[in-house]
Amino acid sequence: MRFLAHIIAVLLLSWMLQAFLPWWTMAIGAFATGLFFRQGGFMSFLAGLIGVGLLWYGMMWYIDASTDSILSAKVAMIFPVKTVGVLMMVTAFIGGLVGGLASMTGGIISYRKKNKY
Amino acid sequence: MAAYPRMKTFKVILSFLITVSLVYALNRSWSGVPGVDSLPALGRFLDPFHGFWANAEDQPAIPETLSLPGLKGEVKVVYDSMLIPHIYATNDDDLYFAQGYITASFRLWQMETQIRGGAGRLSEVLGKRLLDYDRSQRRLGMVYAAENALQAMEGDPVMSKVLASYTAGVNAYIETLNAGNLPMEYKLLDYQPERWKNFNSAMLLKNMAQTLNIGEKDKEMTVALTMFGKPMIDLLWPDNEMPGDPIVDKTGQWKFNAIKFDSIPLVVPEGVAANRHTADDPGKDVGSNNWAVSGSKTATGSPILCNDPHLNLSLPSLWFAIHLNAPGVNTMGSSLPGAPGVIIGFNDSIAWGLTNAQRDLVDYYKLRFKDNSMNEYFSDGSWKATRKVVEKYDVKGQEPVYDTITFTHHGPVTKDNLYAFRWVSHDASNELRTFYELNRGKNHSDYMNALNSFSAPAQNFVFASVGGDIAMRIQGKYPVRRKDEGKFVLDGTKTSQEWQAFIPFDQNVMDKNPPTGFVSSANQYPVDATYPYYVTGSSFEAYRNRRINQVLSSLTKATVQDMMNLQLDNYNLKAAESLPYFLSNLDSTSFTEPEKKAWQVLKSWDYINNIESQAASYYEAWWDALLPLTWDEMDVDGNFIDFPTTFNTIRILKEQPTLSFLDIKSTSEVETARELLLKSFKLGVEAVEKWKLERKMDPAWADFKGTIIRHLLQLDPLSVRVKHGGNHDIVNATTRTHGPSWRMIVSLEKTGVKAWGVYPGGQSGNAGSKYFSNMIPLWGNGKYISLQFTGADNIPNALGTTTFKPEEK
Repeated sequence: MRFLAHIIAVLLLSWMLQAFLPWWTMAIGAFATGLFFRQGGFMSFLAGLIGVGLLWYGMMWYIDASTDSILSAKVAMIFPVKTVGVLMMVTAFIGGLVGGLASMTGGIISYRKKNKY
Repeated sequence: MAAYPRMKTFKVILSFLITVSLVYALNRSWSGVPGVDSLPALGRFLDPFHGFWANAEDQPAIPETLSLPGLKGEVKVVYDSMLIPHIYATNDDDLYFAQGYITASFRLWQMETQIRGGAGRLSEVLGKRLLDYDRSQRRLGMVYAAENALQAMEGDPVMSKVLASYTAGVNAYIETLNAGNLPMEYKLLDYQPERWKNFNSAMLLKNMAQTLNIGEKDKEMTVALTMFGKPMIDLLWPDNEMPGDPIVDKTGQWKFNAIKFDSIPLVVPEGVAANRHTADDPGKDVGSNNWAVSGSKTATGSPILCNDPHLNLSLPSLWFAIHLNAPGVNTMGSSLPGAPGVIIGFNDSIAWGLTNAQRDLVDYYKLRFKDNSMNEYFSDGSWKATRKVVEKYDVKGQEPVYDTITFTHHGPVTKDNLYAFRWVSHDASNELRTFYELNRGKNHSDYMNALNSFSAPAQNFVFASVGGDIAMRIQGKYPVRRKDEGKFVLDGTKTSQEWQAFIPFDQNVMDKNPPTGFVSSANQYPVDATYPYYVTGSSFEAYRNRRINQVLSSLTKATVQDMMNLQLDNYNLKAAESLPYFLSNLDSTSFTEPEKKAWQVLKSWDYINNIESQAASYYEAWWDALLPLTWDEMDVDGNFIDFPTTFNTIRILKEQPTLSFLDIKSTSEVETARELLLKSFKLGVEAVEKWKLERKMDPAWADFKGTIIRHLLQLDPLSVRVKHGGNHDIVNATTRTHGPSWRMIVSLEKTGVKAWGVYPGGQSGNAGSKYFSNMIPLWGNGKYISLQFTGADNIPNALGTTTFKPEEK
């Protein structure tokens, strides 16, 4: 549950920041959730990866569906990853990776191992 | 503290550093990375919120109202179904402000890129691979030319205001840009638009002058003169090949006192070398058609005017269609993004169109410098000081590069430090005034007055009016040339070799309401032999003009449909005149199977280069092999002398089949036209066979030709291929890369002017818009759009309306 809540928090906070500010501000959002949820490095990374990845993928999917791939199909050929599907996966992964790493940094800082002392 | 927290600190720092490094790497563009020419800032570019995704649109955003500082009153803008803006303003200032704003909102990146291209500033954004291009642009004195033009325009109180309003409009749009709505190309190449300046409009006109009026072969002809001698020059490159009618034939009616100078002896400087590295002249497909038919020959009894300029086909398109309405002006047509007004178009009373006037307006002067410092050069017995300008190139991704350009009174000195370059477009002139006046013109005398402001690039201006007049005027600033002057490199040490005077504008070639009932031009030789001035040019057209004149002569009760048919005419007059002779020279006994088939196909051809024709593919492949084989002598150690024209090549093959030039130098046998034709036929068929094997399809002409409308960045995914007939030397002059960049037909009826137009592109410069290339299929299929230029409430199927309002302070 906590993990799911973390993902949703990453998604929403990153969304709010990114909608108005430069793209990398989502990393600050993800970092903050990592601090807050105290899930340790690995789980925080996964939450950031999935949260931002889903956000980016969802936004791309929405634009692509409403514009009939008019531009993404061309950009996919420029890079060239050939298909819009691959372009969207790669893009979501890049965004997710940044979100994941930021969230992981926060997660490591805030994480306290139980029963240690 | 135990070891564990230290481990944690290490982890935190490592994780933090990786995150920050990744963000940094994704937030900047990379150029010069091995294997990658340049990589955009991936994070920013791919960001679904503000990256390229934000440029994709279902429908263009058309706000209901826009409050903008700088406006005097309200401006209403209706976008029709093709996204053509119809602008209704209450005064001129607001009209041009809105034109600047709207044009920029669709074409800003193109506008800026054209200016960078002209001024030699592309390496600033595209890196060092564009540095050589930039250097050559600056060496041509493009900035110097634009600055001179700007001075003339800003010195004119009317044009100064027009320019200022247009510039303010463009900048008002730039103010609205943010990370998301920035045009995609800026995101891809990672830079920001500059503020627009009046200078840019002047630069744009010089760009057009460079495209149209810089053709010359002075050095090449000088080499040819030394190699082959004057009689051979006159045979291979005559001033006038006289294939048909000149643009204006008023034999014996040139009744004015022409300026005359004693001829100068033909003294050619020594040591001139050709330095053109390809025989393929990129300008050869640039041309245009225009004509006007008098009411006596049309079905409606009113004149019809037609124009299609043939230029490099590109995306975003060179043209932007627009309708401008304000008190005293109601005009529509095509505009150039970056310049105020309509360039080719019509209003309620008149219509006008342009084709390029092929005249030699460029000279090279061989210089004598005092020493290597190039501080002084010799002129009429004394040493004159040069002027030096240091040019700075802010090349992207590296240290700036500096270069000194030396100027003489002739003009800038060429890269090899041997010649001064003189170009009529270096002189101050105020061409935008011409279009300002044409946009408001009511009759023939307004047209004549408007043209008096036009110096360069010299154009054949066709005209027709609701009043019933048709006219043609070949307008430009032409030096009074002595015979053969300007064909070869000139001696820069004698002012007697320089331009002594210009032809007075009222003595330029012109005609009004000729007895033929039509006027036409297609870049052919301009005038009959009794015109008192010497006329020369790097090439004159030989086929389109005759076909147009044949069709126009035969028409009675011409309709708009007839005019459309003529603009789309794919009849290959060149093939009709050459192929029977070519075929009669072939000995078919030695043919291979594919050659037999090609021969059969060609024998039964109707000489029409339409989309499906396979014969056209065989003929053009044959011709493309024949021309370089015929003129192999023009390759001088890898530097090329321009080939004689198509028309003259065919004439020589027919009339002088044993001329020594027809021998192929690299073979031991002695070839004549007969052997050349067989050899090139075999090469042509081979080329077609190879194409067939690669493509696994029949060589239908449109496929074989492969017309492509290229994005300015030369990126294939942003370019569009189109199946279309025609070719160079054909009225529908669509080659692989060039063609009719705007087709316009205007019927000047007393009950209301009607017009049709289309261009191979779309109004939007955004590759993420439906309107980026939506007119290409229409253009390709020979369709036209009806151009409405009535009131704001009468625009059918409008996409939306924006009201521009002055911002309240």
